Order: sequence, then structure tokens, then C-alpha cells
Amino acid sequence: MEELLKLLNETCPGIDFAGSDALIDDGILDSLDIVTIVSALMDAYDVTISVDDLVPENFNSVGAMLSLIEGLQG
Amino acid sequence: MSFTSLSFLIFLGAVAAAYYLVPRRWQWGLLLLASYGFYCWGGGRTVAYLLFTTLTTYLAGLLLGKLNRRAKALPPEERKAGQARLRRGKRWAALGACLLNFGMLYLLKYWPFTAEVVESAAGISLYVPDLLMPVGVSYFIFQAVGYVIDCYRGKYEPERNVGKYALFLSFFPQVVQGPISRYDQLSPQLLGEHPLSWDNLKYGIQLAMWGYFKKLVIAERVGVMVNTVFASYWDYPGSILAAAVLGYSIQLYCDFSGGIDITRGAAQMLGIDLAENFRRPLFARSLTEFWRRWHITLGAWMRDYLFYPLALSKPFRRLGNFARRHFKGTVGKIFATSMATFVVYFVIGIWHGANFRYIAFGFYNGALITAGLLLEPFFVKLRQRLPIRWEGKGWHLVQMARTALIVFAGRYITRAPRLLAALYMLKETVVSFHPGRLLDGTLLTLGVTGFDYAVVVLGMAVVLGVEWYQERGGHARQWLERQNAFVQWLGIMVPLLAIILLGAVGQNYVGAEFIYAQF
Amino acid sequence: MNAKKWMIMFVCCLLSLPVLLAGLNFVVDPFGVFGHFTWYSFSETLNPRVGKTEYLEEHWDDYDSYVVGCSSTSSYSVEELNAYLDASFYNLIMYGADMEDVEKTVAYLLENDTVRYLFLNVYVDNGISIGGGEDDLTLKLHEKVSGASPLSFYGGYLMADPNYAMDKLEAMAKDTWLPQTFDVFDEATGVYDKRARDVENISDMERYVAAYPVFADYPVYPTELAATERCMESVAAIRDMCAAAGTELIVACAPVYGEYLNSFSDGDLAAFYTALGQVTDYWDFTYSSVSWEPRYFYDGTHFRNAVGTMALAKIFGNDDVYIPEDFGAYVTAETAADHAAALTNRGGGQDDSGYTREVPILMYHHLSEEGGTDINISTAAFEDQMRALRDGGYTAVTFDDLYAYVEHGTELPEKPVLITFDDGYESNYTLAWPILERYGMKATIFAIGVSIGKDTYKDTGAAIIPHFSLEQAAEMVDSGVISVQTHTYDMHQAAEYETGPVREGVLQMAGESEADYMAAFRADLETAKAQLEQGTGQAVTALAYPFGFSTTLSEALCRGEGIRATVTTESRGNTVIKGLPQCLYGMGRYTVTEISGAELLALLEG
Repeated sequence: MEELLKLLNETCPGIDFAGSDALIDDGILDSLDIVTIVSALMDAYDVTISVDDLVPENFNSVGAMLSLIEGLQG
Repeated sequence: MSFTSLSFLIFLGAVAAAYYLVPRRWQWGLLLLASYGFYCWGGGRTVAYLLFTTLTTYLAGLLLGKLNRRAKALPPEERKAGQARLRRGKRWAALGACLLNFGMLYLLKYWPFTAEVVESAAGISLYVPDLLMPVGVSYFIFQAVGYVIDCYRGKYEPERNVGKYALFLSFFPQVVQGPISRYDQLSPQLLGEHPLSWDNLKYGIQLAMWGYFKKLVIAERVGVMVNTVFASYWDYPGSILAAAVLGYSIQLYCDFSGGIDITRGAAQMLGIDLAENFRRPLFARSLTEFWRRWHITLGAWMRDYLFYPLALSKPFRRLGNFARRHFKGTVGKIFATSMATFVVYFVIGIWHGANFRYIAFGFYNGALITAGLLLEPFFVKLRQRLPIRWEGKGWHLVQMARTALIVFAGRYITRAPRLLAALYMLKETVVSFHPGRLLDGTLLTLGVTGFDYAVVVLGMAVVLGVEWYQERGGHARQWLERQNAFVQWLGIMVPLLAIILLGAVGQNYVGAEFIYAQF
Repeated sequence: MNAKKWMIMFVCCLLSLPVLLAGLNFVVDPFGVFGHFTWYSFSETLNPRVGKTEYLEEHWDDYDSYVVGCSSTSSYSVEELNAYLDASFYNLIMYGADMEDVEKTVAYLLENDTVRYLFLNVYVDNGISIGGGEDDLTLKLHEKVSGASPLSFYGGYLMADPNYAMDKLEAMAKDTWLPQTFDVFDEATGVYDKRARDVENISDMERYVAAYPVFADYPVYPTELAATERCMESVAAIRDMCAAAGTELIVACAPVYGEYLNSFSDGDLAAFYTALGQVTDYWDFTYSSVSWEPRYFYDGTHFRNAVGTMALAKIFGNDDVYIPEDFGAYVTAETAADHAAALTNRGGGQDDSGYTREVPILMYHHLSEEGGTDINISTAAFEDQMRALRDGGYTAVTFDDLYAYVEHGTELPEKPVLITFDDGYESNYTLAWPILERYGMKATIFAIGVSIGKDTYKDTGAAIIPHFSLEQAAEMVDSGVISVQTHTYDMHQAAEYETGPVREGVLQMAGESEADYMAAFRADLETAKAQLEQGTGQAVTALAYPFGFSTTLSEALCRGEGIRATVTTESRGNTVIKGLPQCLYGMGRYTVTEISGAELLALLEG
């Protein structure tokens, strides 16, 4: 979890990832942020995130992102 | 059937009345009938194109659904191989449907332009068939392709009933100019049962009246002056050209958003909620934000079906890795997505039309937004150095003004008859502005009177006032609801009278001052 | 309120809209069919057929004869017809009508009134098209004439475009005495109100064509006379209806501008005029030297009232009025074919020397031994100038000579010149008069009424150059050398001496209403005329505008008060035209300063 958080902060500095669980719904992350994050996640965790995974439920919080990654790895 | 014709109003009234009188199970069937009737009335035989798109994408959807189900039903040991084979099959189905439909769109909309370019570049004369452009082709093809891609991604089960699917593409309020809807948001509403709701009727009528007001009172009126100036733009100094472009901006917004209001109002009368397409674009503080407030469904479509796939594709990820290694800092990190962004805005540009102007428009928006992205870190540092209240109202207004100016300049490109004319007009505006000409009466020689200008200014003031209230979170129709009966009555009579007296002019009306001059 | 109530309110509002519209049209009544805010000239302008029918319904007793026709019918003067025939005419010109509309209108007239005379004007356009126009509120006939259902007729006007009613309200706010584009008819006579067009200055051809460029580049579109047969059927029907009712029918063909005739093929023209002759005898004014003179026309297709005067004079044998020799012919069934052939063998334009003359007007003010300024020249210079005029073969003319020329065609001398003096200074009496007599010249003096016999400014005691007295004026007039006309009574105000609001020349003052201005102008003119006519026994028919300021309104007022010539300070010559009395309005004058006789001759020649 902390690893992921660190990666997120590196990729998109200035966004309070831990402080919200509606990152997409509240517009804190926009489409460019999402693509940047997804690219970074794909490289870091060696998973393939497809476009259909780009739904708010998977990115609204750090925990959601973690679940997504774990789901794709396993 | 134009939205602003009496026949459309009668049609809408009749459909709404029938809608609430027929048994609820038949409501979607009535809508289908009405939608195809509407399309044939206005488009005649071009309904064939709509049918073509409907059938090809319907079949593709079914095929994709079948392949998806097979993939899910595969026993675990066959999964890898089977999925690869099925994915190939899915690719063919989706690609086939897209190629057929985008190919048709290309033929209808972009082929004449291609032929022109080839002719002037290489002197080869290509055959250009004389085809009638079907109504709303740019909209329903995109909506249909969106459905196919969603089916490919397995987002939902495809529609089995061809009639129900046909209604999704042909729904008459939106077939002409959008919004571009998503199947899973629109279809359940279309197919559902709708008991009579007085609230929906009321809100729908109010929204439609607002649209008619913007279209008939403001857009039609200022359009006369815009057309006059653009028809002989070389006769006018920069200040008049700028005034005409301002008028065009007003005309475009009021006409397009007014038409969307009529669309959404009509749909609401039938209990159907269509997606917003405009959200007070004047209040945008950056060009990027502007495109999230203007023609929203187009931007959303591009994001979901072009940008994400493009930005997450292998070539772009490789580009991203390359950029991260060779460019320092943030630039390296966002280079690939910036390029993808550029492509998206370019496509948005040419979606509008097939000529150099729209290509230039695409470049213009793409370049500015991409440049903004790449330079963002630089601006952040700059902001930290300057002692200005970046969160204050003042800076917000400056941002809004800046965005408005950028959009304003872009309007030159799309409205001028040719790209070179647009560049000429831009140059004239800057180099030979002649502000005095704005006050010397030239503005009154453009086919509109002082009264007309007053109506446009007053109308825009009302529009901006309402939008400012909405920007602060207010809901205009609900505000109206809370007023007393007299105000609500005014809320009906004033717009009605404004639309009829200031909007529609009779067919054969010749002013008393001009009757004698005819003889 | 809840949404259901709102919907009911909405539907009621929708239904109230046609009611409101009907109410607006009923009360404001732009077409004059409901009898409210009656303004015949306005409603007749919107639709002359309906407007005039409504007018006649209220005024049958005033008329016993009618002028009917479509284009070009207005220029036949009702007053002149009344004088010739001792009748009471109304001119039913209806633009946008065709011969079928005229036929139905005649039937309606004969039904509702005892008609003694019917003057039918036929214009070549009547052969272009016939029928139609019954759906348009501005073109349809009144239901009393067409027999249409009253319900659909009045219903149509109740549901008329609200802009007509708004136009009427706007027009009511900005209405003036002179006609504007929304009230072009004269109510009592039915003709176009041409009070403004009939006082515009007309002089040389160049100026006229510059003002009306259609004559320089006349558009000729080939047009077929496809409706000749049906048109003549209607004319025959009119003839028969008149015969049955004992109404005397006079048929005349209006003058057509020469170039316009080129729109039609020779065959069509021959057929038209021959066919008309088979139906009825008629007076044909279509083609003559008049057809080539743009100044005889208001625009590319409508001939002037002055030409209408000529036409009526020809018909009724009035020798007093100037009529060009080749103007008008009486055509019968036997002569129709030959006459039509002559029309198709017509020639081209001609020069205007036979019926126009150049008349320069000279303007002086004060004479003195020393002279020295533009308005005060030396007697030596003046004498030199008069001598030069005499030796140069110039003959001084009077305004009466000009009236005779334009009205009767009485020839002017070879080199006419009109000498005028402004203000009425005593020096005119003491110094100018003897010199004029010595060299056989004549002059017209425009005297400021309030200064006659004075040497101070009105009652202020401020000294001014002395003016001659009424007795001195009478003396000069009796000699036959001088005519004394008016420079207004008290509208030549000098701001430095006035205490109250100052009027600039005859112009309307800021804040003065049109009604007040007109009353003041008329009163001033009456006083001026009375003073001079009683003092000299000579009629006052000419006026010089103080400082040269004039407007269309002032010219129209002058004409209404019997002034037949006005002069300004514009430095230009004048072309006077036989048959066109209005060329004497707004004439230009040369200011003559301290120049030699030779220089004056050079000015007049060059």
C-alpha cells in the first residue's frame, strides 16, 4: 500500500491520494492523470490494464487501485 | 423538419400526447415509429444510411456478445488459446463494423475534399458521386461505433431486438445534432415505461422554451449581421470583423446550445433524460476546461474511445518510455499523453468538417492544449514566484477572459469561407483595428438595426445572468418554481411573447415602410 | 403551484396568444377594416384596395365620378377633372392591381353609387399578368368587391402579422405633414401625395440623372405581354357595365418612358394597342417626345403630375396649357392598327432645346458710390455690368415671363437673364432703378417686410442700411421696370439684434413643433403678401429664401400659399422646362460682386 502510494505521489505530485476515496468522482484526477498513472502502474507491476478497467470504481481511492492490481496479477 | 418550424411543434405535441395515451408497453414502439417518421420526413431516402449503420452495428454487437460469452464459457485449460482465437474474431467483428461505418462517413463527408486536394496537388481527377448528406450522420455513426466498442469490451450484453436497437440510434430529439449518448445510459430509459409526470412535462417545456429563446431571438438575429460581414469581409476594417466574430460566437453558442435545450426539453417531456452537452462554457478557465464544457458528449466519446485506447496502446507506451529516458522532468513523463491529446483534438477538429479550416482548427486547439500541458511545470514555478492571489476572483476572471479570447480567435478559423480568409481577417483585426469604425454607424449597415443589437445584448445578458446563477449551484427551473403564481405566469408569457414577437417574422411580411417601394 | 396547474396555465397562455393577436389587430387596425384609429392614408398604403374601399364606404356622397386603373393612374389630377367636367372625382389608383381587380372594383362602384364619369387609365403593364393575389393581406380585394366570405376576410386581418400593427403605432409617433413611405396617399382625392416630389428643384439633365441614376443605366428586361387578351376582356366588361349604367367612359393610355417600351416585343405592343382599339376608343399618350424626357417622370415608370395636366388638357381641348405637339392622339377601332404600327416604328430620343432654356439669375443687394464688399457694390461697376448685358444681347426677364414659359410655352427671348436684388435697400430705389431704366433692363427686388421704410432694426433702434418705403416701391412697380416680391416678412432675423429665440432664415426652430412652425410660416407669408400687394397693387408670387436656407417642407408650404417661384443662394444656373412649373422652385443665383461688365459676360457665358 505504501509502495503504491509512493509511486502515485511520484507520478502525480501535488495530489492528495490518501485523503480522498472519490478521486475520480470529485474530479481530483482527470483523464490525463489517469493515463499517466495507468502507464506507471503497468510498468511497475507488470500488469495489463485495459480500457474497460478505466472505471471510477477502480481508481476512486488508493485501496481501489490496489485491488485492481492484485486482481490483475492473480 | 426543423426544430423551429410549426410542424415540429405540432409533431412533438402529438407524439407526447399519444405517448401518454397508449399502453405503456407500446411506448418505445411509438417512439420508434415517430423517430423514423421524423427522419423520413426530413431526410427522405437518406434514411437508408441510418438503416445501414443500424443493421451493421446491430449484427456486430450480437456477434461480439456471442464471442464474449464463448470466451467466458471456456474451460480453464483452453482459456489462453481460446481467448486469443476469440479475441481475433472479436477484432474482426468490431473492426469490420467500424470500417464499414467510418468508411461510409468518409465517403459522404470527406471524399469530396480528398478528391479536391488530390486534384490540385497531383492533377488527377477522381470520381466524386453526388450524394445527399444524411441528417445527423456524424452523430449516429459515432453513437453506433461507441456501442460496438462497448460490446467488444464486454461492458454490457448486446441488444437482441433490432427494433429496440434501432430506436437507440434514431431517437428523434437527438438524431439531428446529438448529444452522443451511451447505450447503457439511454436505452433503458427509451425502453422503459413512463407514466405521465406533470413535472417532466413542465420542466421539458420550460427547457425547450429556453432553447427557442436562444435560437430564435438571439442566434437568428445576430446571424444576419455575421453573414453580411463574412460575405464580403474584405470591405470591413478589423474592428467590424472582430464584432462579426463576436456575433458569430454568440450565434454559434445560442444556436447550438439552444438546439440542445430543445432536444433535451423534448426528451424530458417524454420522461427521458439526455446527457448535458453544454455546461456554461463561458466560465471555463482554460482551453482544456472549455472542451469539457462545450459539446461535452463529443469530448467524452473521444476520451473513452480514442484517447484512452490510444494513450494506453503499445506504441504510445513505448513512446512514453523513450521520452522518459531522453527528456528531463515532467516533460518526459507526460510527453506521450500530450501527443495523444494532440491527436484527439486534431480529430475533434476534423470531425466538424472536411476542409483545411477544420484541420487548422484541430491543430490550433491541439497545439495550444498540448503546449499548455508541456509548459505546466514552468507555469507552476512562475506562479510561485509572482505575488498574486491565484485563488482569488480576480485571477479567475482573467483566466476566463484569456480562455474566451483563445476560443474567440479560433472562431475566425471555422467561420471564414477559406483558411486564407481567416488568416487575413485575423491579421486585419490586429493590424488595422480602427476602433472608431465601431461608432460611426457602420454597424447599422449590416442588415440589423439598433433595436436588433439591443435585443441581442439584452438577450445575452439574460442568458449570462441565468448561467451565472447556475454556475453558483442554482437550478433555474426550481428557482422559478418557488416564485408566486404571477411570476410563474410571467415566466410563461414573457418568453412566449419574446419568441413570437422578437423571433418569428411572418412569411410574407413586408414592412409598411417598404410596401410602396415595391411598385 | 404544482406541475399540473402549471401545465394548465401554460396551455391557457398558448391559447391566449391568438386572442391577444386578434385584440391587437382589432384595436390598432393597421388595414383599416375595423374602423379604429382611422388613418386612411396609412391603411391605403398597406393595401389600397381594402383601404380605399373602406374610405368610400364612408364617403359615397362626396363623389360622383372615379378615376380607375393600376400603375400610373395617380397623375391625373382630380381637381382638374372636376373643373373640366364639373364633377366630383375620386382617384382609385391601386398599385399592385390588375385589370381584373379594376373590373371588379368598377362593378362595385356602379352598384353603390351613381357614377357620372369613369376615367379608365390603361398602362402597358396591364398586359403582363392578370389574376392572383387573393391570399395576400396586402394584395387582396375587399370582400365587398370580391365577394369573398366576410368570415375569412376579417379573420385574416384579425390574425395579421403583429408587425403591421407595430408599424402603425410607430408611424403614428413619427407622422409629419409631408408624406413618408408609410402614408403615400392623399385621403380626400385618392392620388399619391406628391407634395414633396412636386417642389423638388428640377433643372439640367445632368443633375436630374445624378439624382435618379436609373435613367443613366435603364434596366431593360424582356417581358412578354401574356395577358393582353384577358386584360381587354376586362376592359370590354367595364365598357359594357358603364353603358348599362349610363356612365360616360373615358379611356386613356398613360405615357410610358421610352426605354421601358423596349422591354416589350413589337408584336406584343402592336397586339396590345390594336386590341384595345377594338374594345373602345381611347386617348393614347403612350409614346411621344415626352417619353424621352426623364424629367417628366418621377422614376423609371411613373409620369409626373405636370404631364397628367398636359394629358387632360389635350383630352379636353384646353389651349392655355403647354402641350408638346406630338403628345396624345385619339384612337378608334379603324385607326388602332395603324396607330399601333406607328408605335412599333418609333424612333429614339431627341434633344431638349425646343422646350428648355437656360435662365441665369443675378443676385445683388446694396449699391453705393464707393461699393467695396460682396453685398455692396459701386454704382460704377453696376452700370458697367448693365451696359455689358445690353451690348451682349441679353434681355432681362421677369418671373411672369418664366410663368408664361413653363405653363403656356410662351417663348423667352434669346438670351434671358433675371436680375434680382435682396432685402429692399433704399439704394435700389435711388441708384439701381435709374441705371436699369437707362439700359432697358428689368429687375425683381425681394423686400424684407418688417424693414420696409425703416433705417433701424425692427424696434431696437439699432441702425441698419436704410430700406425703401412702400410708396417708393409702388413707384418702381408702376414704372414697369421693377417687380417687388417677398424676402419674407420677419424671417430674416439677425441674431445680434434679437432678444428672444432667433429663427435661422425660414427654418424650424429647435423644440418647435411642426404644427407651430407651419402656423408661424403661413402667418408670416400672409403678412408679407398682404403688405406688398396692398402697397404696390402687384401680386406676390415669388420668394427669396433668407440666407438661402430652405427645406422640402418650406417649399411645399410656399407652393400651398400660392408662391410659384423660389430662389436660393446656390451659385448655379437654371434650366426652365416647358410644362414643368416646379423647375421654378429652388432656383440658383449668381452673387455679383465688384466685377467688370466683361467679367460678368464671361461668367454668364462660361
